[in-house]
Amino acid sequence: MIRTCKIFFGCLIVLLLLWQIPSIYNFFAVKPTDTPFTLYSSVVGKFAVLQHGEDKKMTYKDHTGGEYTEDQFDSILPTFYYRQLITDGRFPDSICGRAVTPRDVQISNFNMRISPLDLNAPKIGVQQLLESMSGRVDLTLPDDVFRITDSGIEFVKMATNEIDDRKSDRFTEMMLSKGFVFPAYRMSGNPTDRKEYDEGYVMLDANRKLFHIKQTVGRAYVRAIELPKDLVVEHLFITEFPSRKWLCFMTDVEGNFWVVERDSYAIKRTEIPQFNPEAESMLIIGNMFDWTVRVNRANEQCYYAINADDYTLIDSLTYSTPNKTMPGLKFTTTKDKFVKPRFVN
Amino acid sequence: MMIKAIFYKEWIKTRWYWLLALLLSIGFAGYAMLRVARVYSMKGAEHLWIVMIQRDAIFVDLLQFVPLFVGLALALVQFVPEMHHKSFKLTLHLPIRATRAVTAMLSFGSVLLIATFALSLALMWGYLQSVLAPELWQHIILSTLPWYLAGLAAYLLTAWISLEPTWKHRVINGVIALLLLRIYFMSPAPESYNSFLPLLAVVTLSYSLLSMLSLTRFRDGRQD
Repeated sequence: MIRTCKIFFGCLIVLLLLWQIPSIYNFFAVKPTDTPFTLYSSVVGKFAVLQHGEDKKMTYKDHTGGEYTEDQFDSILPTFYYRQLITDGRFPDSICGRAVTPRDVQISNFNMRISPLDLNAPKIGVQQLLESMSGRVDLTLPDDVFRITDSGIEFVKMATNEIDDRKSDRFTEMMLSKGFVFPAYRMSGNPTDRKEYDEGYVMLDANRKLFHIKQTVGRAYVRAIELPKDLVVEHLFITEFPSRKWLCFMTDVEGNFWVVERDSYAIKRTEIPQFNPEAESMLIIGNMFDWTVRVNRANEQCYYAINADDYTLIDSLTYSTPNKTMPGLKFTTTKDKFVKPRFVN
Repeated sequence: MMIKAIFYKEWIKTRWYWLLALLLSIGFAGYAMLRVARVYSMKGAEHLWIVMIQRDAIFVDLLQFVPLFVGLALALVQFVPEMHHKSFKLTLHLPIRATRAVTAMLSFGSVLLIATFALSLALMWGYLQSVLAPELWQHIILSTLPWYLAGLAAYLLTAWISLEPTWKHRVINGVIALLLLRIYFMSPAPESYNSFLPLLAVVTLSYSLLSMLSLTRFRDGRQD
């Protein structure tokens, strides 16, 4: 008995040391790697880099070493600094040979963040499905929520906490008639009234077939989206950007990044190199000419410039961000929102 | 028979505190439910559900440290007077193995604590299931479980410290106990402990083994 107690106590001490020594070392000794703010400029065909110089002043350069003044920097990134250019009366009539207005730039600009913290997190099993065609300018939140079960979709009235059988049957029948196999493998939506329009949800059914589901004038809109042969989708990210160009972004099981265009439901593969959204974070700053895609990988931060029209890779840039942390036992990480013991390098 | 006598002794020692702990625990749980009911009546069920779904609110955050203090205080009430008045020695002279006697004492306290926490959880479940979908009330209840396990851990670790005969070791044990209790409060995100809960429950119950080390040192006559 006492021997068991001593072994248990010894194990606890070892675990506490494995947890505390690396965490104290990492807190005091490891400084986060600072990488400069970087955006691709289609005007000069290079990555524009903004960073603090040695005298703490901002420096404006491109990745080949060319230097710029602050005003020149605004001009080589006209879609990012368009408000500054308008204020200065310097907004151009055309960019890269294409006639543009500030409104065009405003509508086509978008930012998208994909973080493992959002994917690897506890989820509540009920969601809201907004009315996509209410006839009003402002969206309103519905008075019910839905859950996807093994046999259908169930709407629950919030006021009474009771299932709305008629609506549930109507949606379930429509989804089944379009070939949806319950339960859903994945789904992505953005159920908030703080957006310009609503596209409902994109869902992968139990067979990983892709569907677009929304509520229009109280009725179910269900569209099966044909996937290219051999494409096995893993994660979905609904977009709902002001440009209304895309329905969603997707990653497949091999780490390729795809877009689904909104009007045609055309599916196109981008040339963003392999990306694992469960372990790596991504930031896309897009405009009508190009996307600057930043992917934070284990020991490097990669920037990719992607052509906004055909999604081809224009250029890439990598900053080394070596991991200098001491390996040890951790209960939380920056990759998920779960608390559990794991050994982290 | 002897175990029954020990249980009776522990009941005499802790009954008034238990009543207070029960009132405190249920009182806080009831107050948290009153706050939910107030939101429900003032702003409607829709607001309650939407705040939970969109902002990850669970409305019971004020309960976070209540089980911790209830467990810690129960151990102090149960073991400190006995150690202070040197009457713990008498318990060890009872015609029963010392480890069994301490196990009986810890079991009594643990069951009392679990019953207290279960009543609080039952009170919350009773109200929440009437106004929320199962996914939502489960979300709240599961989010509180690490806090209740922390209460049990605080009880067992405080018992370990209280039974330790020397101050030097009490301080060392206290530091270890603080680090162990930190594990139960690593993340404010609701349901973040779900997959860890079974292992955490087993480890928590295993903290009762530590009191046997203090018992051994006590029997060996270690003193400041």
